[in-house]
Amino acid sequence: MQLLAIDTSTRRVGVALGDASGVQALLAIGGPCDEGPPRHAEELVPAIDHLVRRSGGGLDRISAIAVSIGPGMFTGLRVGVTTAKVLGQALRVPLIPIVSLDLLAYPLHYAGSLVVPVMDARRHEVYYALYQPVPGGIQRIGNYEMGAVEDVTAELAARGQEALVCGDGALRFASAFADLDRVDLAGSSHGTPSLAALVELAVARYEREEFVAPADVVPLYLRRSDAELAWDHREP
Amino acid sequence: MTGVPLRVLGIETSCDETAAAVVDDGRDTLSSVVASQADLHARFGGVVPEIASRAHVELINDVIAQALVEAGVALGDLDAIAATHGPGLAGALLVGVSAAKALALVTGAPYVGVNHHEAHMYAAMLDDPALEPPMCTLVASGGHTLLVAMDGHGSYRVLGQTVDDAAGEAFDKVARFLGLGYPGGPAIDRVALEGDPTAIPFPRPMLADGLDFSFSGLKTAVVNYVRRNPDAEVADIAASFQAAVVDVLVTKLLRAAQETGMTTVVIGGGVAANSALRTRLLDEADAAGLRVVVPPLALCTDNAAMIAAVAAYRLRADGPTPLDSGATPNLRLA
Ligand SMILES: [Zn+2]
Repeated sequence: MQLLAIDTSTRRVGVALGDASGVQALLAIGGPCDEGPPRHAEELVPAIDHLVRRSGGGLDRISAIAVSIGPGMFTGLRVGVTTAKVLGQALRVPLIPIVSLDLLAYPLHYAGSLVVPVMDARRHEVYYALYQPVPGGIQRIGNYEMGAVEDVTAELAARGQEALVCGDGALRFASAFADLDRVDLAGSSHGTPSLAALVELAVARYEREEFVAPADVVPLYLRRSDAELAWDHREP
Repeated sequence: MTGVPLRVLGIETSCDETAAAVVDDGRDTLSSVVASQADLHARFGGVVPEIASRAHVELINDVIAQALVEAGVALGDLDAIAATHGPGLAGALLVGVSAAKALALVTGAPYVGVNHHEAHMYAAMLDDPALEPPMCTLVASGGHTLLVAMDGHGSYRVLGQTVDDAAGEAFDKVARFLGLGYPGGPAIDRVALEGDPTAIPFPRPMLADGLDFSFSGLKTAVVNYVRRNPDAEVADIAASFQAAVVDVLVTKLLRAAQETGMTTVVIGGGVAANSALRTRLLDEADAAGLRVVVPPLALCTDNAAMIAAVAAYRLRADGPTPLDSGATPNLRLA
């Protein structure tokens, strides 16, 4: 069994190969806070090609494709999810879609506190979710949310619990979180969704045969288009 | 074309149609599948880029699968995979480009990025396999109005283009103003059948000067006319507006042929599906002794067969497009 894993939910283009023993090879291009036009469409397919060639195998050895479906940067998600869908279709292998916020939270499951991944959604908004430690891992409490940075800080202040905040939103809005009591920032190594977590979580789902057909996988946007939002608020 | 035939899968996602097709050697269409998103955009009165981009992601697998099944072709039988890489909506283009590159990676077949405008010119060759440049082409759609001299395969001179609204944009805006719905081109075409095209003498912008186009003044003229004549028949307004657009488009296309000395004229793009334009062009080009190719409606509106058609020529002339290339929303023809 071999998995191809793709995450393009931030500005970073991340690709990994892995199996039940974990990540065998990975390639990451760009950082979460890079400036300039995004390069997912240019970088992703060559990165997959490079990784597969360098690991001495062919694409035909891949038995499933794990893909981070967001939330995150729309451009990146469309490139990553489309590439995964069409690779899955062409290779006749299933997809294992995983939410990017889970990939940020999972590596911090030893923290023993609340874990709060926060991703930059632009317009001073963020995507986020709250996770609590449970025996052997971490469990999400509540929904995947989009809101203002202040919504997250208010929720954390109201809870008053120990919390660890991670993700590119935590880096970008560090000053907003730094003022909160009992809240720590996880640092830049937790700025992008973890490719190791993507492989590990996907292997577990692979073993439970939690597959999705390529045609049925869609990005998790959390935000509707401006046109639809305006339509709902139009003058009668 | 000479040499071993090239079997190409084309993918088109530059605007609001998700399309895939298999074409042999740029001329022989084995399949052409188009999933229209028009219903998704209708209530907004125009294409919403974010909604279009999302729909492409949802539709892409099924459209590709259907194109292969209808052609009776397996992925391994393909000699190249092509996609529109510009011009078009940024988020929409990325879906087709990503899909084509993924297929190229799996099959080992070369990837070819195609210019959408160029593809509209090649659509006529799918209708008439004997057609060869030189020819004068008019590409008119919701996004563009281009008059191009095609001197040879891959060799273009842009003779004229719109200085403001595209022709199709004018149709959409006037249709919305008249309450005829979206998309505006077919709506106006339908209503105009009941009207008198000579009822209202709308202006023919820039008819006498050069080969460029201007349509925003015409839209304003329609708006002003309706404000002054609230009881005017909608069918007459639609027919008269359409006649003005068609007059300008046909006059300039024929003038371009005359000025370049080219004896073949072809049209493409969504506006080329307009019935008045087609009839008028056939009549006038015949009268002027020109050879004219007016492709069937399905080849005028956005489709992927035209993408696959261009790709065969581009691959032979220029080789594959590198896999580390992306999309260019404002890609130019020449
Ligand atoms: Zn077009």
